[in-house]
Amino acid sequence: MEERQLFIYKLVLYVTGFLLFCEWLRPLETISHTEDVKIFFIYAVFCFFVSFLQVPWYVSIPLKGMALAFIMDGLYIAERIFSGAWFSVFYEQIIFNTQMIQFQEWWQMTPLFRSLLFLILLWLMSYLLYYWFVIARRMFFFVLLTLIYVTVVDTFTVFDGKWSIIRTFVIGMIALGLSSFAREMDKESIPFKGLHKARVWTIPLIAVILLSSAAAYASPKFDPQWPDPVPYLESAAGGAGPGGSRNGTVQKVGYGEDDSRLGGSFIQDDTPVFEAVADGERYWRIESKDTYTGKGWEDTLDESVTNMDPENITFETFSEEVEVEEQTAFITMERQASFKKLVYPYGLSSLVRFPSDYELLVHVHTGEMDTVKGGSPAKLGEFVANYEFPSFEYNQLREAGDDDPQEIRDRYLQLPESLPNRVRNLASQIVGEEDNRYDRVKAVESYFSSNGFEYSTTDVPVPDENDDYVDQFLFESQLGYCDNFSTSMVILLRSEGIPARWVKGFTGGERIDTREFNDNVQNVYQVTSGNAHSWVEVYFPEVGWVPFEPTKGFTNTTDFYTDVDTQDSEDSAATPEDGEISEDNLGNPQQMDGEEQSSDQAGAGSSDQHNTWIVVLSVGFLIIAVILFVTRYRWMSMFLIRKYRKNSDEQTYEKAYLYLLKVLDYKGFKRKPEQTLRDFARTVDQHYQSNDMRRLTDDYERVVYGNESQRTQWPKVTELWEDLIKKTLS
Amino acid sequence: MRQMTQQTFLYQPKISEVLKNMRKVMIGKEEPAMLSLVALLAKGHVLLEDVPGVGKTMLVKTLARSLDCDFKRIQFTPDLLPSDVTGVSIYNPKNMEFEFRPGPILGHIVLADEINRTSPKTQSALLEGMEEASITVDGNTVPLPDPFFVMATQNPIEYEGTYPLPEAQLDRFLIKMKMGYPTAKQEMEMLARSSNRHPIEDIAAVLTRDDLVSLQSEVADVYVDRTVHRYIIDLVTGTREQGGVFLGVSPRGSIALMKAAKAYAFIHDRDYVVPDDVQYLAPFVLAHRMILTSEARFEGETAESMIEHLLSATSIPVKRNISE
Repeated sequence: MEERQLFIYKLVLYVTGFLLFCEWLRPLETISHTEDVKIFFIYAVFCFFVSFLQVPWYVSIPLKGMALAFIMDGLYIAERIFSGAWFSVFYEQIIFNTQMIQFQEWWQMTPLFRSLLFLILLWLMSYLLYYWFVIARRMFFFVLLTLIYVTVVDTFTVFDGKWSIIRTFVIGMIALGLSSFAREMDKESIPFKGLHKARVWTIPLIAVILLSSAAAYASPKFDPQWPDPVPYLESAAGGAGPGGSRNGTVQKVGYGEDDSRLGGSFIQDDTPVFEAVADGERYWRIESKDTYTGKGWEDTLDESVTNMDPENITFETFSEEVEVEEQTAFITMERQASFKKLVYPYGLSSLVRFPSDYELLVHVHTGEMDTVKGGSPAKLGEFVANYEFPSFEYNQLREAGDDDPQEIRDRYLQLPESLPNRVRNLASQIVGEEDNRYDRVKAVESYFSSNGFEYSTTDVPVPDENDDYVDQFLFESQLGYCDNFSTSMVILLRSEGIPARWVKGFTGGERIDTREFNDNVQNVYQVTSGNAHSWVEVYFPEVGWVPFEPTKGFTNTTDFYTDVDTQDSEDSAATPEDGEISEDNLGNPQQMDGEEQSSDQAGAGSSDQHNTWIVVLSVGFLIIAVILFVTRYRWMSMFLIRKYRKNSDEQTYEKAYLYLLKVLDYKGFKRKPEQTLRDFARTVDQHYQSNDMRRLTDDYERVVYGNESQRTQWPKVTELWEDLIKKTLS
Repeated sequence: MRQMTQQTFLYQPKISEVLKNMRKVMIGKEEPAMLSLVALLAKGHVLLEDVPGVGKTMLVKTLARSLDCDFKRIQFTPDLLPSDVTGVSIYNPKNMEFEFRPGPILGHIVLADEINRTSPKTQSALLEGMEEASITVDGNTVPLPDPFFVMATQNPIEYEGTYPLPEAQLDRFLIKMKMGYPTAKQEMEMLARSSNRHPIEDIAAVLTRDDLVSLQSEVADVYVDRTVHRYIIDLVTGTREQGGVFLGVSPRGSIALMKAAKAYAFIHDRDYVVPDDVQYLAPFVLAHRMILTSEARFEGETAESMIEHLLSATSIPVKRNISE
């Protein structure tokens, strides 16, 4: 009877602990891009359950470890579980991530590893909470932390913690009430048989809690007594003005996926992404975006994806009218880069030696090319790209006319309704009297090189709710990086009815070497995260998409030339003279690799996500570390009491006694070095009104100072020692 | 708790009996009584230093009475000769031989009263006996009885008409202590008690000579662990290194401290020494073996205060495995 009730009691406490812990997991989905939070929940339930059974470690550790392995397998590892390949994948991941941690390149950590760490955290929490809730019965700290966590998350993120706070409050109060009842009974040695009267105790407790929560919920509340701290913090962090970086943080430059909110500052990052061997500097295209929302770019139109034959890539940005030169580029992705898309030069025609177990999925409109292996995106280590480097003939462009196909008009003239009129006015003002599309585009492109625009990666504002990203840049800040320039150019062109789109990728990178290949000397370029870039493609009828580079400090690497023979003719079919160089395509290469800005938000998006992970993980670890530290004597005592109980030699006695001194020290009984043990014991006993310490000390003295034959046996005094430790810590 | 030999167990009540006797006579003087007993059991000697009239002689007498031993007393005066201490050979006309008439030093318990009032020559006759456990009379070596225990008293050296004992000779005493004045309350009680018969009249001997000899050998067997050795060494080397000390404690001092600690532990019912024993005894055993620099003395330091500093600066070993 007693046993059973004790069990139920523990169970209730433990379950409340678990419920509180769940409050920690719940916001993850909202705030951190964590998917499959369910799996973490299930694993947490499992760990808590196993912990509660209190099976010996040699059972519980393998159990939890196995569960962890299955989750890893299900989520990330395609190989058959526990096969050699499985382990080698796992091992590689660990090694890679360990290196990344070593180099402090947190953002490179793979999802597998982050999940692994998080699962281990759950595992540890299950131990810790068992100790806290069931053994020590001290939960106030945890309840408090949970409340703080929920409120902080509610305040600073989009997570709505309204119900969370109420749940935490109710569960926390119940846990506190029950645990204090349990401790009271321990202290007073109230036998558990009295617990059948627990109703007398628990029902009022629960009633009071529910009543007060209900009253608190129903009663009128003040509005917030201070302004929402987030905007304040942002402005404090980002300086005056509309500035202030998003989330109050500075992001790292790099290629990212999410461009829906542009703006904010960046810091430079020179992590290599890939190495390219090419005939000249090329812009490395990744994808384009078509829909401008007023805050950033989204891809709303294009859903059609084609599985393409790598030997014959039909994605084209320009027509056959354009003069081209066959070239080849060798691209080697850096080992640590986790880039699962193709970076390709303009005019890509085929990929050589494309691994047969990979598939190439091409988004027909944006040109995004995903490398897929076994159904999930995978990194292509290295590849050779054959491409036709275009050269655009000026007259051909000038004479292209305005006769755009309807399809192009539909897609690439989109503008948000909220776009302020002054942007449109400015566009027509810039374009002025120019009579052909090329010159109008050039007028817009060169508009940015004067008129007070400045290139900067810092102090770049994020538009407020009512601001337009382009409008803000053009009329207010005039300060920004590639995203600001390229987006503004696209919008200005569209205002003038010129179809244009926004393109992301990398600039040419830094030339680090030369290499001879087939009698042809090629340059080796190293492209880093810092080379992430965005630029503009403008549609010219008959010609196709031509890259332009509005960003200050960058030059267009696209090749343009004038066909002397046809200069006056209308014929747009140029006979090229290859004039300057036949690097044509778009890659607006510029030389200043170093300054490139990341494709804006994209970079931000992904580092955002990483950051949240890192923050969640490190806060978690930090909290655990603090908790472990604060309670170190408690859990160490638990552990040592168990351990020492089993041993009987003198060393154990000595260790145990010295540990007791430490615990006493921690509790404020400091033995001065020159104070003898019995003197110290006397002070301690005086405080506790007992003579336990003296008895133990007498015995210990015999161990330390006495001779061999009379050293007492540790087991005889173990109990005394345990009592003292518990008494001290209570 | 205690695991001692049968014999020790046997003697323990007697030791408390002795202490009880001394408490009876010497009101509020437990410490000197205890220390005398320590010296006695450790086969050492005691030097009592204090002004006249605080009970030095009474202490020795009480101790002597509690032991069923030969008690001799020498009152040192400036004109006392060495032979007055050691004894002298006298011609016996009957058998026409020189016969040795033993002096007062040939007793088990010797009270050397006001030792600093006699000339160094006479002092050294006593001190030789204390060191060698024998004396030389007319070229013959005469062994001193066993046990042999000297309690010397002296007036503080600042008093006139004294011959201060040289440092080398002070070294011969295991323990040097002061009596100190009794508190007002103790003195009241003292007056009340001495109004009738002096309590010393009621003291009965509780230890025989043989008891004493076995006790002394028991004490020598008390265990001193290396950890405690270490502590003693730390203290003694401390006196040599401490500023303001002209001459530190010699290795003889370390041995003395250990011996005294053994006896102290024994009296306290233990057959091993703990650092508390050493800590308690250090001022009594070490202080008179040090000489301070004159600067330190001018600053008001005394050897005792130096030892106090040292004790509070030396950490107690509380683990078994100490580095050598």
